[in-house]
Amino acid sequence: MSKKISRGIIYLFLICYVVTSVSPLIIVLSSSFRSVGNMKSPLMLFNEFKLESYLRAFTNMNYPGELLNSVLTTGGSVLVVVIIASMASYPISRIKSKLSRFLYYFFIAGLVIPAQMVIVPIAQTFGRLNIPNTRFTPMIMFITCSLPFSTFLFAGFIKSVPVEVEESAFLDGAGLLKRFSIMVFPLLKPATVSVIITQGLWIWNDYFFPMVFVSKSSQYSLPVGMIQFLGDRENPAQWNVLFAACILCVLPLILLFAFLQKQFINGIAAGAVKG
Amino acid sequence: MKKVRKTKSLVMPRRMYLFVLPALTLFLVFWIFPVLQLFYYSITNFNGINYNTYKFVGMNNYIRLLKEGTLLNSIENTLKYTFIIVLLCNLLGLLLAMLLNLKIKGKTFFRTAAYIPALFSAIVIGYIWSYVYMPENGMIASLVNLFGMDSSKLNILGNFKTALFGISIVDVWKNVGTTMIIYLAGLQTVDDSLLEAGRIDGCSEWGIIRRIKIPLISATITINVVLTVISGLKAFDYSFIMTNGGPGKSTNTLMYTIYKIAFTDQMMGKASAFSVVSFIVIILITIAMLVVLNKKEVEL
Repeated sequence: MSKKISRGIIYLFLICYVVTSVSPLIIVLSSSFRSVGNMKSPLMLFNEFKLESYLRAFTNMNYPGELLNSVLTTGGSVLVVVIIASMASYPISRIKSKLSRFLYYFFIAGLVIPAQMVIVPIAQTFGRLNIPNTRFTPMIMFITCSLPFSTFLFAGFIKSVPVEVEESAFLDGAGLLKRFSIMVFPLLKPATVSVIITQGLWIWNDYFFPMVFVSKSSQYSLPVGMIQFLGDRENPAQWNVLFAACILCVLPLILLFAFLQKQFINGIAAGAVKG
Repeated sequence: MKKVRKTKSLVMPRRMYLFVLPALTLFLVFWIFPVLQLFYYSITNFNGINYNTYKFVGMNNYIRLLKEGTLLNSIENTLKYTFIIVLLCNLLGLLLAMLLNLKIKGKTFFRTAAYIPALFSAIVIGYIWSYVYMPENGMIASLVNLFGMDSSKLNILGNFKTALFGISIVDVWKNVGTTMIIYLAGLQTVDDSLLEAGRIDGCSEWGIIRRIKIPLISATITINVVLTVISGLKAFDYSFIMTNGGPGKSTNTLMYTIYKIAFTDQMMGKASAFSVVSFIVIILITIAMLVVLNKKEVEL
């Protein structure tokens, strides 16, 4: 087979793949710009440019409020996860003992336990501890469920930080907290980026915990707000509004991705390869 | 060296363990303790509302689940779902990564396009694909009509035989991009000089892939397979958003059934019994998988 033909086949495959990957999104985008109830075949791309569907979706879903809730819970959860997971992995990877090995595997075991499974007893634990259902309640679960992966990742990276660095700091009289926060933590930047990207992406997109633990609709995050559109799916006239809502929901992440593309890709690759 | 570390270290004192406490407390209170509670609730008829009136019912919940066939049906569905996404995500992801690792034009564009779906929330993807699969006016149906074929019988999610396949394809569509990125990262660690040596020795392109590239990225393959198996066993989203477990019980996965028994039927005791069995199934599969994959990696 000549080189030109094999190149051709490669391109053909890639283009086919990209078309299947992107075409549903293009159709959603094109339909979202139609007026409500424009039922012409969705395959006629961009045959109308109106913001009517967006306006309706924007008000139906209380967009600014939900966006703020999403930002607050995601930002807060990721911040706490980075701090406590990196702290936890410090002794786990520095001390060589049975206890630290046990703790390591104990945390990793959490990776295989799905959250849906324990939702009933968790709801009860919240009840017993008198934790009210607010926009911040899901954060407790986001942080807890992020611990296995994050601890695992940080532990892997701390091992690559030479002990000698810390020994010299010890001789200069630096305490544990100082050594960790000033010397070790800054060296873990790739792991921190990876945790922020992978866990942030999951937390931002998750609807399950907020759906179960947030009672007031004014405190919903974006994905939970989207669940309110479930009924619209049965009503074909509302498809364009639903699609506009979908676009509004994914817009913040798309913009972030456009600016930080490299960090996203590297973060995901580093997380999996080191982990 | 080992002996030195074992003796009391001044640089790494045992009070370092205090650093674990915040994470460990959260982990124990909000995850491990609840998991243990499942075992207790699984032998009661607790309904999730009345804390004081539930009774112990022994193994009744388990027996009922078995008799109704819910348990075996959900295990079967989950395994099928997992098998489909593990196979397709990894084959497609590896193929894409191999191609996009070549020196070709527009690499970045193709990578980005393949990764974009991974950014979206499952709820948004559920809506988008409900439309793609919608009978009569949906995307697939419209395309079929466009080519002059009859789409009236095409109802992927409404058919017992195809619904599970339909929702697992959605998961594949979303996750191929992530799998591909991980494979790309693995392929980039393969040293060019080894490939050069292979070519000089007269290896064909296929031989290089099979004898050099694949063995060298076996660790990456393990990671990707483990990750997709774990996400397959946790399958919940698309049964919840797109099919409600239907038609019949054809898309009831383990996690979706737990949710349904607990929240729709309000039978927490039964849901807990279901969780206990799921827990055991998941642990067994994970252990089996790790044993098999570790062996493979050594052989290669």
